[in-house]
Amino acid sequence: MSRGFNRLLDAVVRIDVREIEFNDGAKRITGGVGSGVIISNDGLVLTNAHVVSPQAVEISVTLASLERVNAKLVGWDHWTDLALLRIDLDAIKRRNLRFATADFGDSDDLFVGQTVFAVGTPHGLTRTVTRGIISNNNRYFEDSRGVNGYETGAFNTWLQTDAAINPGNSGGPLVTEDGKVVGINSRGYVGADNLGFAIPAKVARTVAATLVKEGAVTRSYAGIGFRELQDLERFYALSANTGVLVANIDVGSPAAKAGLRAGDVVLTLNGRKVDGRFPEQLPPIQQSIASLPAGSAVKVGVKRGDQIVELSAVTEKLESRVGEEWAFEKWGLTVRKVSRAYARENQLTDATGVVVLGVQPGYPAAEAGLARGDIITKVGSKTIAELVQLKALYEAYEAAPEPQLVEAQRNRRISLYVIKP
Amino acid sequence: MSLFRRSLFALALAVTAAAAPLPELFHERLKSVVAVEFFIQAETERQPVTVLGTVIDDAGTVILPGAAILPSVAPAQLRDFKVYRPGSTESSAAVYLGQDAFTGWHFVRIEEKGRAGLVPVTHWRTMTADPVLSDELWGIGLRNKDEDFQPYFLSSRVAVMMKLPQKTVILGTDVAGPGLPVFNAAGELAGLAQTSFGQNFLIFSRNQRGNPVVLVNVEESSVVLLASEVLPNLGRVPKSVTGRPIAWFGAYGLQPMDPEVAKLLKLENQSGVVVSDIMKSSPADQAGLQERDIVLAIDGQPLPRLKPDRIVVSYFGQAILRRQPADTISLSVLRGTSRVELKLKLGDEPKLVREADRRYFEKLGFTVREFLFNDSIMHRASPGTAEGVMVHFIKPGSGVATAGLRPDDWVREIDGAEIKTYAQATERLAAIEADQNKAEFVLLVSRGGETQVLRVKLN
Repeated sequence: MSRGFNRLLDAVVRIDVREIEFNDGAKRITGGVGSGVIISNDGLVLTNAHVVSPQAVEISVTLASLERVNAKLVGWDHWTDLALLRIDLDAIKRRNLRFATADFGDSDDLFVGQTVFAVGTPHGLTRTVTRGIISNNNRYFEDSRGVNGYETGAFNTWLQTDAAINPGNSGGPLVTEDGKVVGINSRGYVGADNLGFAIPAKVARTVAATLVKEGAVTRSYAGIGFRELQDLERFYALSANTGVLVANIDVGSPAAKAGLRAGDVVLTLNGRKVDGRFPEQLPPIQQSIASLPAGSAVKVGVKRGDQIVELSAVTEKLESRVGEEWAFEKWGLTVRKVSRAYARENQLTDATGVVVLGVQPGYPAAEAGLARGDIITKVGSKTIAELVQLKALYEAYEAAPEPQLVEAQRNRRISLYVIKP
Repeated sequence: MSLFRRSLFALALAVTAAAAPLPELFHERLKSVVAVEFFIQAETERQPVTVLGTVIDDAGTVILPGAAILPSVAPAQLRDFKVYRPGSTESSAAVYLGQDAFTGWHFVRIEEKGRAGLVPVTHWRTMTADPVLSDELWGIGLRNKDEDFQPYFLSSRVAVMMKLPQKTVILGTDVAGPGLPVFNAAGELAGLAQTSFGQNFLIFSRNQRGNPVVLVNVEESSVVLLASEVLPNLGRVPKSVTGRPIAWFGAYGLQPMDPEVAKLLKLENQSGVVVSDIMKSSPADQAGLQERDIVLAIDGQPLPRLKPDRIVVSYFGQAILRRQPADTISLSVLRGTSRVELKLKLGDEPKLVREADRRYFEKLGFTVREFLFNDSIMHRASPGTAEGVMVHFIKPGSGVATAGLRPDDWVREIDGAEIKTYAQATERLAAIEADQNKAEFVLLVSRGGETQVLRVKLN
């Protein structure tokens, strides 16, 4: 292989993670294995958001030299399934360890049929190289809970490859023959053969640059559910190569306030023509809104029936459907804050309350009758608008345990429960 | 007819004088039970149904268990009612009279020439006191049609008496076919067997080690609604096939209050129902009932503590259905920490799914029905302002099925035009169906709070 390729191999690492999970009514530590690639001399490692999350408590990186060092999470972005770590440089210096760094290639230059290699730790098998070709360099793949329950894929397309990608390959690089990183391997179709997907290097570089500076990517939200027109141009009497269909408008969203409606066809965004005839054209359109600072005005040119109207929406900060999680161990109860996105998705009146993630059998919450999916809206006479309110009530309970009257909703049915010491 | 009655009377006397042997009683009581067969005509298929029924009067009226017909089935879909006697292949025609909202029973009436030899269950003497623990009761089961509805004898002992909320006994083992009467050793009526309860079992197999399953016996039941609860309601023969009038309260998602909650709220020895949803402009809304209110008493009667907890919800529901539209009730309600007294005038139940106008578009492959008050609860839309129609049925493999349309989708637009009424929707769909040159049409549907544009290819 080329010299570049050998150097690349020295930049690929195995990542062992221990993280907190809140699923079963208790705080539990689970372990996982993934891959990553070192991209800078100051020890930045690029990997997947589904490999290392903010709930990680211990991140251990195995270098090509088979030496292990700890790492810390620098930034996280589930939308592009990317996480950025920094390995412990003091330890590197102290132990006199060496590592190589990988170079990025231009993912826009990839052609279908081009040979690529996936490097990583499939099923824990360290330093595995598989070979394939670029099967498609512009694949649309949006998943509302693709990254451990978080949304992904709305703002980028993916590289599709037939290089074998198995669990554990996640976070490792997809590289060309000369060892240039053109993608970060992310996912495969379970049960399918040779259908693997990687985040293009172009997206990874931009996101990594933001994560270094800010730790997160802030995006704008308008609440428009776009869908490809695909053969509907004639139905909507559109000229060629224009417009994208609005399939859904989130209730209470900026777009709803602006008066957009499902069934509208968006012709322009801030004066620029949009072309959304095919699914793979949707991420750039969505990104054109997301990349604006929150609070930006978006002028939307809309075709509605025979009319053409211009509406203006002021974006909000994009929020995940997944809210903060917490464990109330003495109650045997784990919860997640209801986010605005979750409230919208479940047709709740507002984002009041916390969702029960799990209850431990035999503990007070389970004994009271609470179950996974219930939304706790009130404890005693206090409405639980924020998680911190429940934490405070729990602290008071820990200090002096008293029976607590809990109001919860299940499928919008309101029930009362008593959590008893 | 008069001669027949007199002989019956004589028989009843004989029974009280000295209990006849059980085989004799069994054959006599068989005259009160029938098997009822009918079809549910759906858009593309007809589903045969066989249930058991009890004859309740000399006019050939038969009651069937509530579970015999799903609530979404329109009376017009019920076809070809036939009544079979136990052990017979001969049938008589019958007509469907409707469902009573309070008891849940369906009523059918046998044609006049088919009534000879039937004896209403009311002609048998009723037990003077409710059966008690360990009393032996017996009943009748009927085999399936391929065995000529062959009758067979079942008996068991009373294991427990419960209020569900009506007085019900549960026997040790199955005692009769669901919907059929149950008697004591003297041949006195004890009650009516109900749809049986699920029983917990564990499945063991090569791959499974004791997986829990719930099994429901559809042919026999050990649950008996006592005669004292049955007889007073036999007169509730529906005045129309819709079962109307039906009293309407207008609060939804009622949840029981469990004993722990009652204790914490210092409401020992009673129960209550928590109100989750109030439909705008419903009687409950007009009376000022609010979400999260806990109803504690109706007309001054505290809601009793029943087991299991959820029975109190049926208790409250039946308390409403026992009444008539325009009846007034008073409610004692716990709102936060204060007690509130409300007066409420019951309304007329809004149109039910089974009454909704619907139309099947055969070429398009789907049925639409009116958008109802109950749909606006489901979709969190305020009633009256809601527009559109509901998808009721999708023909498998049709264009709409391929396009991804699903039952219970809410159609808001057809070909880009907003749908305000059912008439508008059917008119548009009929036009699309009639248009030979039309290659496709577009639907805007709402599903689970999200909308979607569906493109339907024709042919």
